[in-house]
Amino acid sequence: MPGGDFHPWIFFILAFWILVCGLGVVAFKKVMYSAVSMVFCFLGVAFAYAALSAPLVAVVQVLVYVGAISIVVIFAIMLTEVQEGARDQFFNRQTIFAAPLAIAVAAVVSVVIVSADIGRIGDTARTPSLHQLSALLFNRYVFPFELISLVLVAAMIGAIVLARKEEEKS
Amino acid sequence: MNALYWWLLLAVMLFCIGAFGVLARRNVIVVVMCLELMLNAVNIALVAIAQFRVGAPGAGTLFSLFIITLAAAEVTVGLAIVIANYRNKRTVQADQYDQLKG
Repeated sequence: MPGGDFHPWIFFILAFWILVCGLGVVAFKKVMYSAVSMVFCFLGVAFAYAALSAPLVAVVQVLVYVGAISIVVIFAIMLTEVQEGARDQFFNRQTIFAAPLAIAVAAVVSVVIVSADIGRIGDTARTPSLHQLSALLFNRYVFPFELISLVLVAAMIGAIVLARKEEEKS
Repeated sequence: MNALYWWLLLAVMLFCIGAFGVLARRNVIVVVMCLELMLNAVNIALVAIAQFRVGAPGAGTLFSLFIITLAAAEVTVGLAIVIANYRNKRTVQADQYDQLKG
């Protein structure tokens, strides 16, 4: 039975939701429709984290992905909205190779996963307490934590430098 | 079959949908969105394994949080590049970014 401490149908509904919205991102012709579909896909992933009894990740997913990243993407769409008329093909020439490749990769990795020895697995998902998590974050993983704040600052400065208007060279 | 495998299969399918989008779509913004789908798929796998495996509680959760943070940084820089490119070329179609051909 899939899932954890909940009814198995919930897993199938969630998986259906996530996959359909993910397919919508790829298949919608209008970019804005793709973006809305992406937001719903992220929301489904957040519910998946909640179902996996990882509430902290679910909350951060809603905050960062559903909130921030989708806003940035929608802003980018609105800043670059072009009326190029109806482009006949919105897939490029590699589609004929990309589709079988993606399906093949999915099949191979699925077979590998099912036959792999992952280690000792419990029957249900267990959740570490918030206290445990914060102790781990500020003791053992404090260096990656600080490093990531550095990366965020660098990304912020880089984004500003890239997106700023070119100054006239005098 | 253990419950973990179902979650992993879901992650694989989402990853391949995202990979297909990255390979096949022309619009660069949609490519960035599909990259986000792939990162989400990896995150699902990471959280699932971390929650179901016996031992080392919390590490997987923390790493998924790190990945979410880095994805935010990545999408910011990526879309800034898209906008800077749009300013020069007036297009977001990937096959028209052909400056390097000379």
